[in-house]
Amino acid sequence: MKFEFDIADRARTVEIHRQPGAYRVDIDGRSCIVDAVLVADGTWSLLVRDADGRRVISAEAVVVPQNGNGTLDVYIAGRSIQVNFRGGLGRRSREEGGTHGAGPQRVVAPMPGKVVRVLVKPGDEVHPRQGLLVVEAMKMENELRASRAGRVRDVFVAEGQSVEAGVALMVVE
Amino acid sequence: VKKILIANRGEIAVRVIRACRDMGIGTVAIYSECDRPALHVRLADEAWPVGSSPPRDSYLRIDRIVEVARQSGADGVHPGYGFLAENEEFAAACREAGLTFIGPTPEAIALMGSKTAARRAAIKAGVPVVPGTEEPLDESVSDAQVEEIAERIGYPLMLKAVAGGGGKGMRMVATRDELAGALRAARSEAGSAFGDSAVYLERRILEPRHVEVQLLGDHHGTVLPFVERECSLQRRHQKVIEESPSIAVSPQTRQAMTAAAAAVARAVNYTNAGTIEFLLDAQGQFYFLEMNTRLQVEHPVTEMVTGVDLVAWQIRIARGERLTLDPDALLSPRGHAVECRIYAEDPDSGFMPSPGKIIGLRVPHGPGVRDDSGAYEGGEVPIFYDPMISKLIAWGDTRAQALARLRRALVEYEVRGIKTTLPFFQWVLTDPDFLAGRFDTGFIDRKLRARGGAALIEPDEQQEALAAIAAALSHATRVAAPEVPGTGTSSRWKARSRAEAVART
Repeated sequence: MKFEFDIADRARTVEIHRQPGAYRVDIDGRSCIVDAVLVADGTWSLLVRDADGRRVISAEAVVVPQNGNGTLDVYIAGRSIQVNFRGGLGRRSREEGGTHGAGPQRVVAPMPGKVVRVLVKPGDEVHPRQGLLVVEAMKMENELRASRAGRVRDVFVAEGQSVEAGVALMVVE
Repeated sequence: VKKILIANRGEIAVRVIRACRDMGIGTVAIYSECDRPALHVRLADEAWPVGSSPPRDSYLRIDRIVEVARQSGADGVHPGYGFLAENEEFAAACREAGLTFIGPTPEAIALMGSKTAARRAAIKAGVPVVPGTEEPLDESVSDAQVEEIAERIGYPLMLKAVAGGGGKGMRMVATRDELAGALRAARSEAGSAFGDSAVYLERRILEPRHVEVQLLGDHHGTVLPFVERECSLQRRHQKVIEESPSIAVSPQTRQAMTAAAAAVARAVNYTNAGTIEFLLDAQGQFYFLEMNTRLQVEHPVTEMVTGVDLVAWQIRIARGERLTLDPDALLSPRGHAVECRIYAEDPDSGFMPSPGKIIGLRVPHGPGVRDDSGAYEGGEVPIFYDPMISKLIAWGDTRAQALARLRRALVEYEVRGIKTTLPFFQWVLTDPDFLAGRFDTGFIDRKLRARGGAALIEPDEQQEALAAIAAALSHATRVAAPEVPGTGTSSRWKARSRAEAVART
């Protein structure tokens, strides 16, 4: 079975061949023998041997699917590594949210919270890093700022309003 | 005191329940709507609902909480930290209801809760304070007047909430142009966090270290100071790493600082647990900053180096017992302890809060490691409260050993499903300046700025390859459903979690 992944913007090819008691895994053309035990739901104990059998690495990897988009978070040694299927659902565009580059800038609530202050109104000219609105979540006030200069086109929220994560708050063009 | 109501949630509620258990005291938990499944509810002998999820409707409801204490037959109330811990009305309401409040008197809370009154108390006790305003600046003081006062004190300066704590309502003001904006922000934040928008000004000490002294005072006139804690590692004025002892404090400074702290506490007839915070400048001069009239988040590092259970002593003092601890032992630390505050925040996205469900949790153990936590597998981190989920503390014979153990524990620690600040601590604990003890309160913010948003922990080539293998295996086995050795345990786990899920609904 052959898989193509993107990990940290790098393409990886993994081929898995079942063998008695283990797997032979070719990763980017390099072969290794993997003794894999699923110790709990999503938790793999891996013993990875070089093809010549001289080195064995022991690692625990916990595989957690992200919500519905096909991307996997793999936890190894306290780090989380995002694994995207090549060309699949899991590929996330870098431009998501539109905070860089040209075109209108959609300001999106990064977390659920409450809008405590709206600092601009439609028609206002804003400069880079100018505060646009303040969202309170988890007892902290977080100021959302303009990523570049522009003019406020729409404001979709009012002070005191509760917002969900990912909701558009305003558009700056 | 035979039965204690814990007026708090999360890790500190769990911590207090444990001390009560150790002493054979009954425990009553309270919970908001979203906290019904929380760990503190499950660990307590009894648990009572106090309202909906927003704090002002539950954990800040003095009337409800006192009523629950009465109904449940509790005779003591422990406030933890945060919420009502430094609210004199709550302490007074407990006293009026005949409940033993496990903390200082309402009078002491009120006096030291006003940062400006606390400064005056310190000055009276002969303890140096940072130059600044003695009177609160409420909304009636105009921007122009504040500007005039600021000019007199001199820039750079700090704007702080009179009722403040935890960095809320606090702003650094470098120049005159920043003052009006900072004043507006500080007043608004102070108003919503403490219900009092008054602020005051203080000169900014350059490159200070934050060093504090834990105290216990009994009802028989004894006040005992403990060896200092250093909490210089802060992000936006919030402590993130604390340790005891401080490597910047000489035996002479320790002597002087702990004596000064005890003098302030005695001057206000302080009882129960409290902490005096100081700024320590590069020349070794220290200045009184404020007093916290409660148990501190970072109290475990003191417990680890002195062997004293601070929560147990809070209860014993509240019962009227005399402090029988050896004063010299409290100032002679055994080894070194370091604590990390683990938050549900994404350090790679500007520390945005990351609430949500913890779908997997592995907690580190082993020599010298302590985890004070309210987190559990399947638990939600609610959006309503402070995002701290646990505190990881390591003890060692030396600072180097404590840090090595902390590094080891951080690698073992896994919280899956939400982002946490664990990678941030892995990064800090490899920083040569941190390891050498060369830091001040601006250290973390400077280091983060220097990184310019680069990811804190870059997995290495081998870890990425392992991740690819695990991802491929997960898919290959899911599609083909093969017989993999060891799946017996897996199906048992699955069966159990399915059974639990059914039981919940």
